[in-house]
Amino acid sequence: MEELFGNLGQLLSSTIRNATPLIFAALGGMFSERSGVVNIGLEGLMLISAFAGVVGAFLSGSALVGLGTAMAAGLLFALIHAVMTITFEADQIISGTAINLLALGGTGFLMVEVFGSGGTSPNVQGFSPVPIPLLADVPLVGPALFNQSLLVYLMYALVPTTYFLLFKTPFGLRLRGTGESPEAVDTAGVNVFRMRYFGVALSGLLASLGGVYLSMGILSAFTENMTGGRGFIALAALIFGRWHPVGAAGAALLFGFAQAFTFQAPQDVVPLEFLQMIPYILTLVVLAGFGGRAIAPAAIGKPYRKE
Amino acid sequence: MSEESREPRDEGGSAFGKFLRGVGGALVFPLIAIFIAFVIGALLVLASGNNPVAAYISLVQGAVGDPTAIGRTLLNATPLVFTGLAVAVAFRAGLFNIGGEGQVFIGAITAAWLAVSVGFLGLAAIPIVLLACVLTGFMWGAIPGFLKARFGAHEVITTIMLNFIAINLATYFALGPLRSEGIVPGTETIEAATRIPAIGLGLGRVNYGLAVALLAALVIYLLLWRTKLGFRIRAVGLSPGAANYAGMRIGTNTVLALAIGGAMAGLGGGVEVLGVYGKMSIPFVSNLGFNGIGVALLGRNHPVGVVLGALLFGGLASGAQEMQFATDVPLDLSDVLLAVILLLVTATKLVELIIGKRARALASGTRLDEGLGNQ
Repeated sequence: MEELFGNLGQLLSSTIRNATPLIFAALGGMFSERSGVVNIGLEGLMLISAFAGVVGAFLSGSALVGLGTAMAAGLLFALIHAVMTITFEADQIISGTAINLLALGGTGFLMVEVFGSGGTSPNVQGFSPVPIPLLADVPLVGPALFNQSLLVYLMYALVPTTYFLLFKTPFGLRLRGTGESPEAVDTAGVNVFRMRYFGVALSGLLASLGGVYLSMGILSAFTENMTGGRGFIALAALIFGRWHPVGAAGAALLFGFAQAFTFQAPQDVVPLEFLQMIPYILTLVVLAGFGGRAIAPAAIGKPYRKE
Repeated sequence: MSEESREPRDEGGSAFGKFLRGVGGALVFPLIAIFIAFVIGALLVLASGNNPVAAYISLVQGAVGDPTAIGRTLLNATPLVFTGLAVAVAFRAGLFNIGGEGQVFIGAITAAWLAVSVGFLGLAAIPIVLLACVLTGFMWGAIPGFLKARFGAHEVITTIMLNFIAINLATYFALGPLRSEGIVPGTETIEAATRIPAIGLGLGRVNYGLAVALLAALVIYLLLWRTKLGFRIRAVGLSPGAANYAGMRIGTNTVLALAIGGAMAGLGGGVEVLGVYGKMSIPFVSNLGFNGIGVALLGRNHPVGVVLGALLFGGLASGAQEMQFATDVPLDLSDVLLAVILLLVTATKLVELIIGKRARALASGTRLDEGLGNQ
């Protein structure tokens, strides 16, 4: 019994750890896409933030400063995407791809400039697990859910917060309207461009939390290309969760569980590579099942131009 | 589509003058993007405490300075021609193929497996293997086409997802059933007789894969502009409604365009394995597919432009090695330059600020978010 609980607890705890960066990035992507701007640059936003966080913590010795620099970097890169797509009307898919390449090349370049060589950075002060009194003592779920990094607790709070923001506030209504029917909200006096800037900026801030969690929550160092496709899995979670915060978080948990299972399952039963395909295959199935375009924000991908 | 067909107005002058204006117009966006990227790059180099002039001189020398440098550039450019074509063909049908990365892996694992199996045929095995790569790439590329035609699933998302599925699939085979005994994880090494031979001429490791790439560009050009199928693909891309009204099957052409794109990238993966690596090791070369997007857009989705774009990207990559060697600038600068070029190359409004209203006319036909491709 003890052993079973131990294994289950480990699986649960690992699920949370794997899902957390996905949830942050997926919630971020949701704000951008709900405002009508496709963001396939989540991967790059996470990567640059993971790096900037480590640099900030390295130079200051403080994890909180690292969090600040990471969010600044995520915001900066998101604003590049915003300026290019909203103001300069560059193609959103292309700009997102460029953001990913820019983060990959940029972090490679800066690794050499800041730390003297590529590969892995020195260790920095990170966000280590902080047990929540009482809750952490609950059998099974306690240690798994409530003996985690502060960033994980922030994630718990952000899922309902984003839901509230998106569906229960005037801001959320305008944002969703901007993604569905920009002409209509424009007529109603809402500044479409500003709403889209907000959406993309929020995606940068939220994705940056995912990046920081990777480099300073799970690890306490930056490794080149350490996101390893998580931004794209987050994108998959966003679609799988039908652009809804609770749905996206649920999908991210499912994908996080798949990853956690990958590490614990005996390798000789199912090859690792097949387990790793699961999130992507599920997304294809969902896209085929739901008819793809029926559920995405209607005006997504198109630059808005005032006539 | 050519510039002429987009601008039916006769502005006078000879056909040659019109041609020149078309070419000039096509170059405006790429040249502005490249120029701004190099300015930003220079600022980065300056900020890192190096001399940008020295860095760029060594970059150019490393790209075209001597026959070996040119050889390296051509070697880098070869796979990018294929992945650029993979994007361009789909683009002409109004579709975004982000799946080049995975399609390269599918072609590469096909070549790595088949070239060992039929290696006893020697040189004669090469066309067989490459044909198989075309076939597997075609079938892999057809999947997102089918998902779009049948279920309306957006090809951008499905091709991204299929990238990861393909990479995992190829990795499974390379590290599982096809794994060799050696220290480097990957497939068995292909016999020298079954590899694509080097061209020689002092160009280093450049092989006849380059000729295959140029041939592929020619075939795609002829296909798009000299065949009925190509006409249908372009018609669907320009105006799905009108194409449908004219009796063309949008679904069929969608599947074919993405499948042909997949075939190109698959062939590229095969050429890399047979021409350069002689096996598929894990991790395999990455970002060929993503850089193909930049190559295609820089080349305005025309086969000739794709070849030029691939040469530029290839030159930057090989020049960066020399730059890192000669100065202290990290070679990742070339990735930054490529990213900035990609970021800017579709920025209609930015170009409008620089050259005025003409920008919008010049940009049409290179954008999928304004009509082209939106059904």
